[in-house]
Amino acid sequence: MERFENLNYYELLEVPANASPFEIRQAYRNALSIYEEDSMISDSFFTDEERIAILRRIEGAFSTLIDESQRGTYNKELMDAGVIDASLLEKGKPRSKDPIPLFSLKKTGGQNFLSARVKNRIERKDFTEVTQEILSKDLISGKDLERLRKHAGIAIEEIFEVTRISLKVLRAIENDDVASLPQTFFLKNFLKAYAELFKLDSGKVIDGYLESIAYLKNSR
Amino acid sequence: MGIMAQIYAIGGGKGGSGKSFLTANFGTLFARQGINTVLVDLDLGGSNLHSLLGFRQEKKGLNSFLNKSVSDLSAVAVPTGIPNLHLISSVDCSLEIGNLFYAQKMKIINAIRRLPFDIVLIDLGAGSTYNVLDFFLSAHEGVFVLTPEPTSIQNTVQFIKAIYLRRVKQILKHYAFSNVVKELAGESEAGLIRSPLDIVDRVMTKDPDRGKLLEKELGKLVFKLVLNQYRKHIDETLGNKIETVCNRHFYAGFQFVGNITHDERVHNSVLAKTIFANKYPYTPTSADLKQAAEVMLKNGEKTSNNMGKYGEV
Repeated sequence: MERFENLNYYELLEVPANASPFEIRQAYRNALSIYEEDSMISDSFFTDEERIAILRRIEGAFSTLIDESQRGTYNKELMDAGVIDASLLEKGKPRSKDPIPLFSLKKTGGQNFLSARVKNRIERKDFTEVTQEILSKDLISGKDLERLRKHAGIAIEEIFEVTRISLKVLRAIENDDVASLPQTFFLKNFLKAYAELFKLDSGKVIDGYLESIAYLKNSR
Repeated sequence: MGIMAQIYAIGGGKGGSGKSFLTANFGTLFARQGINTVLVDLDLGGSNLHSLLGFRQEKKGLNSFLNKSVSDLSAVAVPTGIPNLHLISSVDCSLEIGNLFYAQKMKIINAIRRLPFDIVLIDLGAGSTYNVLDFFLSAHEGVFVLTPEPTSIQNTVQFIKAIYLRRVKQILKHYAFSNVVKELAGESEAGLIRSPLDIVDRVMTKDPDRGKLLEKELGKLVFKLVLNQYRKHIDETLGNKIETVCNRHFYAGFQFVGNITHDERVHNSVLAKTIFANKYPYTPTSADLKQAAEVMLKNGEKTSNNMGKYGEV
């Protein structure tokens, strides 16, 4: 163990030679908590004179290391004396990653991002053949809508993400589940949103679907 | 079974800090690992280790060895209820046992070194009388028990300094630095020497060769620190800070073993005359004890190495 009197400033504060100002400040605060007047430790070990002498050294170490130009001069002294090696002064490797904010949209995807992606996918896809076929029919069932969705390669959850129509309702529409469907007023709006997402004539889809539902009800 | 037992002495200035409690519990935890362990109650004049282990009275003990009714100290090691754990009590000793004769003290120390066990745990009393200091220094490793209060820290530091001074004097005597000792004795009476470190410094400046020898001998000392009755609101690095200061200002190796969380139920275990670690195995305190016992067994591995941060400076 090196004698206390011979410790250099870095050893005194127990920091590496390439410590950042932040680390030095923390180490200084730590050292103070040991040697300051109302510390539990210092009054058992040292007389007041000893303690003040130690504190003065620590303050000297801190004020030198926290000042960039003074620290540079001090480092040079240490290097000339062969106490430390230049390689020890090199800054540590930069952090490989920047901190990620807690609510980063990039990380989680985010709603806007996803809906834009879904819309983009629909736009790029050419499914006029399927839409033509569906729109030419008088009755448009939920199965037709589902076929269209699957043709475009879009999951039902993605429809939910874009339109915010709940999954329960979407499934009821696609399955022609008459009992679970919402009231006609809401149903019309949902169908409109669904149709517009796929660039269908919403009026036609609504009429066709309602007729198909009515037909199902009657046939039961 | 090893040729020679590893001897730990558990001491540390202040009374009531939990020396006997920790001796009993560490002993139990070592024994649980299959290590043949013996506890020696050398809190002479204040023996109560037997009570923590559930003995009401013990007829056999240190006195039988001192009055020569048995020739071997291991003959008075009685098995406790716990497998692999034995106890040498001193409750049978006279009321004046606190003031041992030098010859008796040496007899005990030599007998302890020959005990046929793997680990010997010596429970010491409070205070820093020569008997306590010499028993402490006879161990391979000294364990200081302190609690996070200024009074306890003060007493522990006084105890550490007293131990240190005793060792410095032993070394000086051993290497026949008698002239130095005489000179220093005069100075200490004159009030010039306040701390054992002053002696080391003085020897170093007067006679660098002998100073180096002294420093080397002192460097062989290994001490451990246990912070007992640790409570939540206290700075959790307190033990490490004390370790740092000790390592910096004494020429010896100190290792902080760990905090032992305070638990009201320790009182219950003492009343019930059972070992806490057995009675309440799934408590934070028992977990702390277990961890500290493991650190104790790992010889020479330091928790923090000040020089390590610098590479090869």
